[in-house]
Parts: sequence; structure tokens; C-alpha cells
Amino acid sequence: MFPTLNATGDLLFLERFSVRFQKVNVGDIVVACSPENPRVLICKRVLAVEGDSISVLPEPYAQDAAKNVLIPKGHVWLQGDDPYKSRDSRHYGPVPYALLQGKVQLRIWPPHSWKKF
Amino acid sequence: MSQWFPKLKPLGREVWERSVLLTQFLCCIHIIKEHVVEIHQVMGPSMLPTFSAVGDVLLVERLSTKFQRIKQGDVVMALSPENPRLIVCKRVLGLEGENLVVMPTHGSGRVQHIKVPKGHVWLQGDNLSNSTDSRHYGPVPYGLLRGKVFLRVWPPGGWTRF
Repeated sequence: MFPTLNATGDLLFLERFSVRFQKVNVGDIVVACSPENPRVLICKRVLAVEGDSISVLPEPYAQDAAKNVLIPKGHVWLQGDDPYKSRDSRHYGPVPYALLQGKVQLRIWPPHSWKKF
Repeated sequence: MSQWFPKLKPLGREVWERSVLLTQFLCCIHIIKEHVVEIHQVMGPSMLPTFSAVGDVLLVERLSTKFQRIKQGDVVMALSPENPRLIVCKRVLGLEGENLVVMPTHGSGRVQHIKVPKGHVWLQGDNLSNSTDSRHYGPVPYGLLRGKVFLRVWPPGGWTRF
């Protein structure tokens, strides 16, 4: 999630109400269980919700290889802010909504970079 | 008014202590329900004849899914990938890495060969003709599984272990 978040060591404040009441919007940063490994939590940005149709570039800046994906019911599209390094929905497809654990509201550590998202 | 206060004070203390006890009790129930065992009633025809369509009460244990001890053939409760507010009860027919042959759901479909991806399971209801399961929405991420069914307690007349 570079450059929004540091590679390691940021402490984030999550709230669970948005996810439980399904008030997650496009652009929110969320924490979810990884679809590939249930013991791992991933932190990504929601780029599309159910019903949206997005154009996905499997590689950044390779415009000719764009694919159109329709997000199925009950799923969201997660993507990291660093398109070169992030492993996200471009690799494992849309993620079921029920895997979302919480929405990131604040960064509380390091203390000099408090930020509200 | 001032003559009532000495009577109200012990009553207030008792109300407070009872409230604290009730809160602690509810917290314990919540922890047991979320992490140990849960009682669930299943409705719907998708698991006939194993479970009836009108509401069997099952005991669901939450530990197997947390420690990844689910095996092929287990009946599990999971969150539906199509509707995050819905909990479904299906049988695990394939674990990650297995190759499955899926028969068509209706006459004109084709037989599919599917490899269950990493971190996913294949869920299918026992009532193949009336079940919305992985044949419709694909393999289900393991993180959606909530618990494994191990006992049926209602209807009475012999508890059944699974």
C-alpha cells in the first residue's frame, strides 16, 4: 500500500461498523482476510463494489491488455495503491464482501504522521 | 425526599451489581458463541435428506475452522459469497488443490473439471437438484467458513452426530 502507508510498522485504527452495516464505499481502505490464505490479513483499497464494471490492467500502463470485469453480487474489487508490488484482486479476482474485517480510519503510529483516511 | 435516600442507596447498589453480573454473563455467552460452540437452526431444502427443510437445530463448533481442521465430507456453516448477511449450511466436497469433476446442474450443461484454488473449498448441498452452492458461485474462500456441524439436537428422538 505504498505510498499511502509505509511498508512496515504503521499502526492503523479500524472500525467495524461500516463493514457490518455495509457502508463501505469506493475509495475506502479496508482490512480483509486474504482469499488465498485465511490466516493472513490484507490491507487494500476498494476500487469497485458489486454491480460495477471496471477495466483492469493486468500490468500497469499496458493499456492494450485491459480486461473488463463485472463485479458479481456480494463481492468487491480490492487493489493496493502500489500497482507494481501489490498482490490483489488482479490476481485472485473479486473478493466476497463477508471477508472484509474493518475499514481503516486513522493512522496512529508513527506519531508524526497521524492521518485520517 | 431526604428520608427516601437512605432506602434508595442499597437498592441502587444492588441494581448496579446485578447489571454488572448480567453484563459479564452476556460477555461470556458471546465469547462461547463466537469461539467455541454455537446453536443454529437451518431452514431450506438444500441439505435434504440430511437435514429437514423446516428447521433442524444443530450444534456448530467454531474451533475446527479456526485451526483449519476441516476435512472432506464435513458439514459446515459458512457466510454466503453472494450475500454477506446470509449463513448457509453445506457439505465440503473438495479442499484446496484437489481436482473435481462437477456434473452439470441442468441437462444441457457440460461436465466441468475444476481445480480448487489455494485457500478455497468446494461447498455443495446434499440435495443436488435444489441447492445454490459452489456449482453456482464457485469455490468459496476458507475465510468465509464459520463452523463445523457436529450434532443435531432437534427434532428429538436420537441426537445425530456428524
